Amino acid sequence: MTPRSLIAALASAALLVSPRPATAQSGGGSLPMPPPPSGAQRPAGAAQATSTPAPAASGKPAAAEAGKPAEATAAKPAEAAPPAPKKVDPAVFDEALQDYFDGKPRDAAGPLYAWLQQAPKTDENYAWGQYFLARSLIDLGLTHAGASYLARIARERSNPNVLPRALDALKQLTDRPHDEVMIDEQVFGALDLGFLPEETGAYAHYQQGLVDLRVGNERWANTHFAKLTETSPEASHARFALLVTRLKSVKEPSDELIADFLTLSKDEKLTREARNESALAVARLRYERKDYPGALEAYGLVKLPELDPGRASLYLEEAWTRYKLGELRASLGILTTLDAPSFRDEFLPDKYLLRALIYRDLCHYLPAKRAAKELTRRFADSLEAVRNREDLTQDARLRRAANARGSTQRAARFVEVLELEGERLGRYAGSFGDQLFSHLTKLYDLSRAEAVRVHDARLAEAVRQEADTLLRAAEQVRLMEYEVGLKLYERVKKGAKVVAPEDEQELSPANVAFRFDGEYWNDELKSYRVRIESRCIEETP
Amino acid sequence: MRYALLILLFLVPGLARAQAEALENPGAVSAIQERRYRMHHELLLGVGVLPDDAFYKGLTGNVSYTYHFSDTFGWQVGRGTYSYNLQTSLRTQLERDFDVAPVSSASEDQVQWMVGSDLVWSPLYGKTAFLNSTVLHFEAFLLGGGTVVKLNRSGGFRPAANVGLGLRLFSSQAISFRFDVTNNVVFTGASRINNVLSVQLGTAFNFGATE
Repeated sequence: MTPRSLIAALASAALLVSPRPATAQSGGGSLPMPPPPSGAQRPAGAAQATSTPAPAASGKPAAAEAGKPAEATAAKPAEAAPPAPKKVDPAVFDEALQDYFDGKPRDAAGPLYAWLQQAPKTDENYAWGQYFLARSLIDLGLTHAGASYLARIARERSNPNVLPRALDALKQLTDRPHDEVMIDEQVFGALDLGFLPEETGAYAHYQQGLVDLRVGNERWANTHFAKLTETSPEASHARFALLVTRLKSVKEPSDELIADFLTLSKDEKLTREARNESALAVARLRYERKDYPGALEAYGLVKLPELDPGRASLYLEEAWTRYKLGELRASLGILTTLDAPSFRDEFLPDKYLLRALIYRDLCHYLPAKRAAKELTRRFADSLEAVRNREDLTQDARLRRAANARGSTQRAARFVEVLELEGERLGRYAGSFGDQLFSHLTKLYDLSRAEAVRVHDARLAEAVRQEADTLLRAAEQVRLMEYEVGLKLYERVKKGAKVVAPEDEQELSPANVAFRFDGEYWNDELKSYRVRIESRCIEETP
Repeated sequence: MRYALLILLFLVPGLARAQAEALENPGAVSAIQERRYRMHHELLLGVGVLPDDAFYKGLTGNVSYTYHFSDTFGWQVGRGTYSYNLQTSLRTQLERDFDVAPVSSASEDQVQWMVGSDLVWSPLYGKTAFLNSTVLHFEAFLLGGGTVVKLNRSGGFRPAANVGLGLRLFSSQAISFRFDVTNNVVFTGASRINNVLSVQLGTAFNFGATE
């Protein structure tokens, strides 16, 4: 044994026994490779193929590898050798393909998998077999399993005709919860970009730029983004990502930055969600600069689908902006919106604080005190858990709040998808055959375990942030209660009188008013106004 | 005096409760929205029936133009109805089996066509949820005016007073659907009146309304 082969064997053995690294990994990366076609043709690297994320043969012809010394195989105990698969008739591939094109993906999947197990990787149809197996699985609602095969095609690159189709299919899968590491990072983030069709290439450039941005390398990201066509949707998304990244690093956002976000909020090439995010960024930046009318104008740029209830955080931010503008009644109206069933489970401790502030400003001290107390009452369990230093991920409210945002939300949704697809897989136990079924079961078990690990890691951090928010609000509320308590028993000076009521805006003929009686209509959520008199008194008559 | 005190005694808890409620939940909430659909120049094309005569039924084609002064008040400047009349089985049976013809007025009172003009008052504007997924806007209106009716007789022009009510379902700013039920009180003779009930369904095209 040469030193080099010894090192290779030791490395293989180490890979077999070493635990998974703690960093986020692709569930699909741990996809067990199909056993080699036969003992004679088994590639030297097959020992690690069953457990390592990287493809085993890297697309090399099996016959060429057969001549290599079999030192690597020595690392694997002889008794663990997988049973040789049965021979599969090459006609199986054609029949399976026919089934697929006849709209019977259920019948196609099992034979395709059996054929892939038997066929050498150098077979000209091997990548096509993987592709149609992936399509069959996706058609059957097993998107993650399908994606893992598409990702393998992208990594192995054995057939240039299949590759663009596989990448297109993968790109479509990114619209729904997916394995971000396997697809975004390991495929699109690591592709050789020279050979790709324009559209897929643009998406890959965008993804690779994002990866660079995430690790803080804006210059490298810009080299990718510069290759995007100026008018492409990816270019707009890239600008948005760049601006968000810059926003994180600057202390005082410049006018230029706000103007850039404003431009993006009107960019039709972006998705509506991205445009809304840009408008929200403008509103938040203007709010921070105390440009409240400007912030309100930016909130108006957020466009929602018909009858969409919208986002609770957006309403709350607008309520704060109106409060700062002195539009107390409008602000109180928006807080009414936040009591709607659509937002009942939202984690918005600020809502109670703002309501208390408004009532206090209108000198309705009892309601102000009640609103303040409502926060501590409603979040009593969570506050108790924080004080007792319990595991906050077990607190239902904090957990739900953390799962409703950002990367934790994405991770939670991916776990849900895997669980759903794992259950769905059970339905196909009969038609897939034992081999494919057990293979997919293992794939889903491994992927789910990894997805849960990633989710738990993100959840722990997100829950801590939500707890911080809650504690800050609780602190403010305590101050408020104290202040209101003082006001309640304040003596009214002689000669003081109630302040003159504000002139109410008359309804114009173009307006229509529906009195609210506790029934929420989605089309009214943005329109609530409260008529309430101020009970404040003028100290100096 | 004693009764007054007694009544006051019963009222006090209610008043106190109302006051406490107002103290705890002050203010009244309303949803104030831009009126979504506003009519201006309306052209209506519709079909309908004249259902109430026992000896014939009229299938009608209708056209009208309405000018809306405001959201609640409009003038149906002109409307025209042509009726294609079908004899009922009752009349056929009378003629065939009993060799009895209805009185001549019954035949002569058949409406051939009519034109008229009405004032329209729409006091109700509202919305309703359809299958809990779509919000439909509607308005209800009353109308009243005058009609000239052409009856199935020579020189059969007769005056009539028209009253009715209707319902409009908005589909878009430009299109709405109208369901009208009206009754024309036709003065067919010196001391005789004939009620002509009309039911019609139509599509209204709205022009010139601002958002």
